Amino acid sequence: MYVTTDVAPRLLEDTPLGPEAGGLYRRQNIWTGLGFGVFLGFVAWLISHALLQGSNWGSDMVVTVTMVAWVIGFNIGMGSFNAPIRWALGHDQTHQDELYAAGVGQGRSRYLKFCTDHKVVGTQYLVLVLVLFGVGGTLAMLIRTQLITAHSSFLSPETYNSLVTIHGMCMIIATIIMVSGPFTNFIMPIMIGAKDMAFPRLNAMSFWVVVSAVPCLLATFFLGGVDAGWTTYAPLTVQAPPAMDAFAVTIITFVVSVTVAGVNTIVTIITMRAKGMTMGRLPIFTWGSMIGGGLGLYAMPAFLLVMTLMITDRATGTSFFVAAQGGSGWLYENVFWVMGHPEVYVILLPPVAAMLEVASTFARKPVFGYKVVVASFAAVAGLSIMVWAHHMFTTGWAPDLGGPFMLTTELISIPTGVIFLSIIGTLWKGRIWTRLPMYFVYLFLWNFIIGGVTGIYLSDVPADQYFHGDMFVTAHFHYTLLGGAMIAATAALCYWFPKVSAKMLNERIGKIAFWMIAIGIQITYFGCSGRGSKECPVVWRTTTRSSSMPTRWPPVAPTCSCSDGSCSCTPCSIRGATGSRPRPTRGAPRPWSGRYRPRCHWRTSLWIRW
Amino acid sequence: MVADSNLQVDQTDVGEEPGGDDRARPLGLILTVVIALAATVGIGAFFWSQTYQSPSGTQVAQSAGTAVVNGVTMPHVTLSFQSYPDANGSVNGVAIHPAGNPSWPAFGMTNVFQVPTHALVTVTVSQYDSGGALNNPWFARVRGTVDGVATVDGKVVTAVDPNNVGHTFTVRGTPGTDPGFFLNVPLPSVGGENQTDVGQHHTVVFSFVSGSAGTYAWNCEFPCGTMVAAFGGPMGAYGYMSGFMHVV
Amino acid sequence: MSFEEQVDELERTVMSEKPFFSRPGGKIFIIWLILSVIGVLIGFYAPHHLLPAMMSSTGTDVFKTVVVFTVLAAPVAAFVYAVGIYSLIAWRHKGDQDEPPEDGPPMHGNGPMTVVWLVVSSLLVVVLLVWGLSVYMAQQVSHPNTLQIDVTGRQWLWTFKYPGTGVESRTLVLPLDRAVEFNVTSVDVTHGFWPVALGNQVDANPGEVTVIQTTPDKLGKFSVRCSQLCGLYHAFMYSSGSVVTPTQFSQWLQAQGVPPALADRTARIAR
Ligand code: HEM
Ligand SMILES: [Cu+2]
Ligand SMILES: [Cu+2]
Ligand SMILES: [Cu+2]
Repeated sequence: MYVTTDVAPRLLEDTPLGPEAGGLYRRQNIWTGLGFGVFLGFVAWLISHALLQGSNWGSDMVVTVTMVAWVIGFNIGMGSFNAPIRWALGHDQTHQDELYAAGVGQGRSRYLKFCTDHKVVGTQYLVLVLVLFGVGGTLAMLIRTQLITAHSSFLSPETYNSLVTIHGMCMIIATIIMVSGPFTNFIMPIMIGAKDMAFPRLNAMSFWVVVSAVPCLLATFFLGGVDAGWTTYAPLTVQAPPAMDAFAVTIITFVVSVTVAGVNTIVTIITMRAKGMTMGRLPIFTWGSMIGGGLGLYAMPAFLLVMTLMITDRATGTSFFVAAQGGSGWLYENVFWVMGHPEVYVILLPPVAAMLEVASTFARKPVFGYKVVVASFAAVAGLSIMVWAHHMFTTGWAPDLGGPFMLTTELISIPTGVIFLSIIGTLWKGRIWTRLPMYFVYLFLWNFIIGGVTGIYLSDVPADQYFHGDMFVTAHFHYTLLGGAMIAATAALCYWFPKVSAKMLNERIGKIAFWMIAIGIQITYFGCSGRGSKECPVVWRTTTRSSSMPTRWPPVAPTCSCSDGSCSCTPCSIRGATGSRPRPTRGAPRPWSGRYRPRCHWRTSLWIRW
Repeated sequence: MVADSNLQVDQTDVGEEPGGDDRARPLGLILTVVIALAATVGIGAFFWSQTYQSPSGTQVAQSAGTAVVNGVTMPHVTLSFQSYPDANGSVNGVAIHPAGNPSWPAFGMTNVFQVPTHALVTVTVSQYDSGGALNNPWFARVRGTVDGVATVDGKVVTAVDPNNVGHTFTVRGTPGTDPGFFLNVPLPSVGGENQTDVGQHHTVVFSFVSGSAGTYAWNCEFPCGTMVAAFGGPMGAYGYMSGFMHVV
Repeated sequence: MSFEEQVDELERTVMSEKPFFSRPGGKIFIIWLILSVIGVLIGFYAPHHLLPAMMSSTGTDVFKTVVVFTVLAAPVAAFVYAVGIYSLIAWRHKGDQDEPPEDGPPMHGNGPMTVVWLVVSSLLVVVLLVWGLSVYMAQQVSHPNTLQIDVTGRQWLWTFKYPGTGVESRTLVLPLDRAVEFNVTSVDVTHGFWPVALGNQVDANPGEVTVIQTTPDKLGKFSVRCSQLCGLYHAFMYSSGSVVTPTQFSQWLQAQGVPPALADRTARIAR
């Protein structure tokens, strides 16, 4: 028996699907999507190639048009646009069509289709995120392999730089959706007592749009590579090979997906709460999702904008970023970081909120200082849009603004500190039950303190004038993003896995994975932030975003690469852990039980079976 | 009410489940690890095979006896290579970068050289490409060679016309090697922009004393590429206007 | 245990007359103290090993800042770690698989604690800010007799011009104890001018001139790197620099072809 939505059992019986239900949806799945995407991309390539061959900016135009056509084609083929097209043609979808699109009666195949059921979308996102972590982690291991010896001839400088770029962007994309994709979709509506997201079709679309962005990102390797680092600073990227156009289309596509998903989350939380679920009673995770999503709505469009300008600079010869023709690299840097700093909190807030639920469940206590935490989420979001220039302290742009941006950046550590207060307050005198998810809460505490402390050196202009651009910054943001956000997300994954899959994780394997991850992170990032002789840091440092620059500390490099490997194994280890025999949850719909969890989402739960 | 019916669903579900246990299925675990490793190795092999192949392997400098430089006796070796306006072989008849962009200028036949440590290296470059103005006349000076000179078509020079340079051969030491090592030899251009004289070339000969062991990077500093500052295209793609010099 | 009983128990523990060090607060205090001391020691010890020997006024600023910030951050980090460690020792439910028989106390927050936390972190931020701003402002003051150097980044090489002498060099040579101002620009893409042991850096932007200044105060060699990924050979965009005595500086200028009188004047040596 397959249960698809909270009301589906009844609908299944009451309204059997007619043979015509679903219409076009019946013929659409991932294969039609791929087929039509490739077809449209190919047609666009033929036409643009014929028209633009030999013109000055030809290859950039051709790549852009081809990539955009693939994205549109894929989504047409998937069925993302069925409903609006039919609506425009004057006949709306019937109730039966909607039921079909919600996956009713389709078994497992609905996971490969345009499916509006929020649980299916959540599961799809989860798989996508794990795949992206796998890809990004593999690239990280290649980076590390290159760095084992000085002047290793494993990869060419160009390939190395491109790997660094795509590793970074792959991970950024994955971390932005790692909680807001799977858990906001799957768990949040159940938590607030909604039957589904507010816009189920947009929800499904947001997933398939981000799927269509991934091939564009990987295509960069075949188009010359983007050897500019994940920040893709102009004008270097205006100089880069056509891969940069594919990169820009990736971002634009991704931003469309994230903003659509963000609107959906916010509207769902504001309008779809069950009776009695007032804003003041929202589980903390819901707040994290909402504030994170809202911040995304502010931040991500700037990314879309800057990448659009990038394409016009490259493909049509405008010069927004080319100084020789009146443009400025500082323009790019500003708009990028106006996106870039809020973005790190778009990544951070949902996992941290989810982790507070975990802490509360396993400490058997309510979240400490619920209202203060919500206020500090809001304060973090508000402040984070005013700190972007701390990434530009050393660019020479507006040195006089160093002071004000130092102020805002340091202010943000006050609300960030409240998150720590809340965690330790929640642990205080709790009945701490150290199951697997709780391990990750402690690991988060350890790592995120280090991430925050490294942050305060960087927020100090005179100190940043030394640290900027070196391995220390790399260590800082890996401690915050990997050690903080991703570990919190892993806690959430272990916590909700039984909810999503009706299977318990195997804790023994999970704990092996945990120790590998925990130790790997420390060796890699503590080590790389600069232990060693007085000369090592210098050599190490520039390896951060550099070509295959050597390390002169041989014993450490392999260690780092192993441990890094183990970090990138995160998804693999989790996957391995789920390989355990499904274990019945002893009839209890609440595997972790206890009184102070956000109960309703466990109680109204439905195990879906795959 | 909804909640209750759901609870029921749960229980029936669980009831159907065969009594499971906590043991991991080792096969699944091992398979996961093996597949992950295989994928990693495969992807690594892909990047390795795609990009680190210098066009025709490494050119090992040929021994030419010994030489005395500033009173020090050292081995003497020779290297010779060319710079072409296109990698597709329309000048030299052999495509340097069959898999790459054939219309970009390229050094050939290889871009990776190997010379002994602390030896006198005499290099002969045949320069077939047209050119133009450097973005800094500084590179028009011959730097780092023995006596700071090179011979262009038999004529001894210390600098060339900065407005008529085809490419430069610029080698630098890195922290892992001999940080102070620096060699810059401008290669004068052939004819004008429209290349009416395909097949003609300048012969530039110079000698330098190699440094301590390590890998030195060389590249061309004449903006002969595309896009911003003419440093895109062949300048940004490894192997056309860039390479390594192994000192062993 | 009912809620009421739990609250009672909580009150009893808090109010109890047990000596301070056997109460949770006391034990956490001890752990905190140990960790803080370790953190402070790290603050004094680690920077010597993590940072290169700094050779200029700005480098010394960086060094001091790292020490001060580590010492300030140590007690805060130590507090969080102390509670974390103590919670694992004292409040952990033994027996992994079986859930704890009862819940923890229904503690939804603690006003005074939150206020204390906010006040302390705000005070720390004020200290950081005052420290940072005063150092930053002191760095902006311009000195008399500043040596001007024009730094140009290009793919993938730095060159340094000494205005008035006609010298353009690939290595950066600086006289000791004399303020120097770098006017940094680029001819192609953005680079990052980073004379490492001088503890200062600024980007080289095409079409713009950015300025930083510092005063070298130790003789020796340092490396100049590019801190902004600038394409294929970014990692090889490396120059060496050295701080020398004014006499040596004048001699170096003369070796570059500057007439002795001009070289001495540039190096500010009376002849
Ligand atoms: C205490 C709070 C924090 C402070 C004061 C802080 C400060 C800074 C500063 C000043 C920089 C610029 C460094 C430079 O480029 O020279 C930076 C970079 C960065 N930080 Fe943070 N940060 C904090 C927390 C976080 C968090 C929570 C995250 C992510 C979840 C994060 C992620 C990053 C990232 C991604 C970069 C960019 C690195 C790059 O240039 O590629 N930071 N941080
Ligand atoms: Cu930031
Ligand atoms: Cu060239
Ligand atoms: Cu550079």
